[in-house]
Amino acid sequence: MFNGLKKLVNTLTLSELRTGMKITAKELVNTKITVHYPEEKTPISPRFRGLHALRRYPNGEERCIACKLCEAVCPANAITIESEMRDDGTRRTTQYDIDLFKCIFCGFCEEACPVDAIVETQIFDYAFESRDGSIMTKERLLEVGNDNEQVISKARSEDSKYR
Amino acid sequence: MIEIEIDGQLVNAELGEMVIAVTDREGISVPRFCYHKKLSISASCRMCLVDVEGAPKPQPACSTPIAEGMKIHTQNEKAIASQKAVMEFLLINHPLDCPICDQGGECELQDVAVEYGSDVSRFSEGKRIVAPSDIGPLIQTDMTRCIHCTRCVRFGSEIAGIMEMGATGRGEELKIEPFLAEGITSELSGNMIDVCPVGALTSKPFRYELRSWQMSSIESIARHDLVGSNLYAQTYKGNVKRVVSGDNDAVNETWISDRDRFSYEGLSHENRLLSPQIKVEGQWKEVEWDVALDFAVKGLNRNILNSRNMAKLGGLASNTATLEELYLMQKLLRKMGCENIDHRLNVKNLNNTIHLKSTIALADLEAVDYGLIIGANLRLEQPMINHRLRKAQLSGANITALNVKDFDYNYKVKSNAIAPSEIANTLAGVLKILLDKAQQELPEYLLAVSPNKQTVELANELLEADNSVLILGEHLINNAQASSISNLTTEIAKLTNSTTLNLTATANSIGAQQMGFVPNSTGMNTNEMFETDMCAFLLLDIYPEYDFHHSATALSALSKNDVFVISLNSFSNELVSQYSDVMLPMAAMFETSGTHMNIDGKMQSFLAAVSAPGEAKPAWKILKVLADLLELPGFHYENSAKVMDGISHQSVQSHEYNTSVNLGDQTTLVETIWMHSPYQSDVLLRHANSLSISKIGQINTASMNASTAKTLSLNDKDSYLGVPVEITETMADQCVFVSSNQATNIGGLK
Repeated sequence: MFNGLKKLVNTLTLSELRTGMKITAKELVNTKITVHYPEEKTPISPRFRGLHALRRYPNGEERCIACKLCEAVCPANAITIESEMRDDGTRRTTQYDIDLFKCIFCGFCEEACPVDAIVETQIFDYAFESRDGSIMTKERLLEVGNDNEQVISKARSEDSKYR
Repeated sequence: MIEIEIDGQLVNAELGEMVIAVTDREGISVPRFCYHKKLSISASCRMCLVDVEGAPKPQPACSTPIAEGMKIHTQNEKAIASQKAVMEFLLINHPLDCPICDQGGECELQDVAVEYGSDVSRFSEGKRIVAPSDIGPLIQTDMTRCIHCTRCVRFGSEIAGIMEMGATGRGEELKIEPFLAEGITSELSGNMIDVCPVGALTSKPFRYELRSWQMSSIESIARHDLVGSNLYAQTYKGNVKRVVSGDNDAVNETWISDRDRFSYEGLSHENRLLSPQIKVEGQWKEVEWDVALDFAVKGLNRNILNSRNMAKLGGLASNTATLEELYLMQKLLRKMGCENIDHRLNVKNLNNTIHLKSTIALADLEAVDYGLIIGANLRLEQPMINHRLRKAQLSGANITALNVKDFDYNYKVKSNAIAPSEIANTLAGVLKILLDKAQQELPEYLLAVSPNKQTVELANELLEADNSVLILGEHLINNAQASSISNLTTEIAKLTNSTTLNLTATANSIGAQQMGFVPNSTGMNTNEMFETDMCAFLLLDIYPEYDFHHSATALSALSKNDVFVISLNSFSNELVSQYSDVMLPMAAMFETSGTHMNIDGKMQSFLAAVSAPGEAKPAWKILKVLADLLELPGFHYENSAKVMDGISHQSVQSHEYNTSVNLGDQTTLVETIWMHSPYQSDVLLRHANSLSISKIGQINTASMNASTAKTLSLNDKDSYLGVPVEITETMADQCVFVSSNQATNIGGLK
């Protein structure tokens, strides 16, 4: 009985409408927090674990030395490495594949790497159109590394004091 | 046996044995680098320091003998503190390059450092660097990683018998390096890789390929010699990637020869036969297995079975086959009614062979006090047997060799260069003296023999010894008096109570003999088969230019138009494809399960480590299916172990040998002994690249002395039978010893 009366008064005085319009009016003048993805992006932590990349040294030499620690530590068995002695006598990979379908983006590979070769970048918006596109080959990983070296090294240096 | 206390626990120990031996036996872990159970004690790494109550300072467990009432602590504060201190010093100069080091993951230093090392080094000065040196195609060095445990140096001087590695310099300048620029040439050198606790010495063919944790280790048996060394084949994705030694004190202790260690490289050679092929109108055609086998059966039917002409069928097999393969093949042939079966391919005259029985076990060779080696370059031909004999010599045995050449032994040998034709006479002389001394009647053939200084000496040496062994080697196989030498040796052994060792045929030949892979009285042997008009052959892993003594005769017999040849081969070969009608690809060593019988008659079974490449199948399966298709009964084997069960029920046939002794005169002016160089002795070895470019693999010489060279009007730039001449005064006069890495030449093949 009492509830019915309260509801009737609220309806007659347009109280809900006024509450709603108050919020609308307030938001009209407030700063917008909506991000217009993909034109705009939210800031990403330097520790973000996105798409993988293989890095190079500033002189262009690939960092990876085929120690296979990432392969060993990978809990999802997503990494496959074959190695050999390159003509100059250094230890190098001939194959470095990461299967993105298997990868769980735990970042252990990055942790295990003694030369900071394999890293997880801040790239998260990648897609592939065929099943075999899920395999990140050595060439593709190095390409990601080449294209994003500045971002990668900035993220590493920002995070270095906590490592 | 006394009781001592280790870590508060009472254990039994022998008085005087080293503490580390007791802790190892009891399963108490004590870290160590320089200690190795088969090498002498150097106590140089100090990693095994333990606390002994009553001793003011910690004691190295590897060189502290057990004494009455000892109380040892391996884990107390003092022991751990001293071990950690040693570890810190060891890591001062050891580089932090584990990620690129092949030893990473199986490194003793790495393992111990995890337990005893500190996470941060207090040493901030520069580390020492040692320039790399190339020591041959088998071992990769990275001496910056060396921690100076001297295991490799001790291995060289104590086991391999040539101290090729040594420690030069002092203090900071101390380096472990080979003394000679030619590097490491020992036939056992690969064991240095196994004994090295760090990544200073690693396998060169395996370099940078895989991590130890990626591979599976499968126990296997080496089939290149009469020992059957135990080893582990380490495999990855269906390929043998590395071979390491296994432990078996009765066979190979913990060592294996380089031949056994690196032969696996041949498995991935491009020359492997990968698919069954049949020859249709002179053209080779790759076909399915059923087509090939059907073709083989039809060929056999056409040429042999329809005409019931079993005497025109011949079966030959290589010595490297497994017992199962040899057994099934002879069973198949015998069930068909064929008795022409043989595995002795490289013997000139099969009515004149060495048929001596071996009467000494491998491990007992260490205990002999006298050894007479006749016609063998033991060190290269049977490295592990040589190693046993070397141990005997080091503990005081006298070893005498009667060889065509004074071979390079790694222990003290009284070597007499003697022409092959003189051997029988010398032995006859010895026998005559022995019979005279024993006051026994002389057989007729000894009446004309006159003892000389050498025979008197040999006879005396034999009589003085209590535990002597007479060893006949591979060089005698084609000796004109082979059978006589064999009989004389048996007689001498009887009179002097000696044991005998017959090393004339290698690999699995003892097994082949046991499996009855020799013709019985109605069958023909290898040479007789080639002299008869045959209609069909079944060949198991045969490569005519290397395997046969009479290569040319063999080739012409096999190549005849109306001869149907079924070849089971692991490698493709031009000559095989010339004469064969069907080629069936078979599994090689490590790819088939089977059994090897060694010189002791010990049967060692092994499983396949990997599956055969391409379409190749284990030969026992091929033979079984062939038998089934020929509708022969008794071939229902599910696996090779079932074949073995059948074998153990088989009674061994005894053979009668010629027991006469014939001391004929020399007929040719210059005597030649032709041997394949040690790393060419079977088909897998011939395809192992690293071995073939090693020092021993490169041996290709026809040795003769200057006067022989003059007789043949040759000089050291010429070649003899296509093999470069080496003039050396270590040769017996008017003799040539050929050790070749080429195809057999003696049969007249180009």
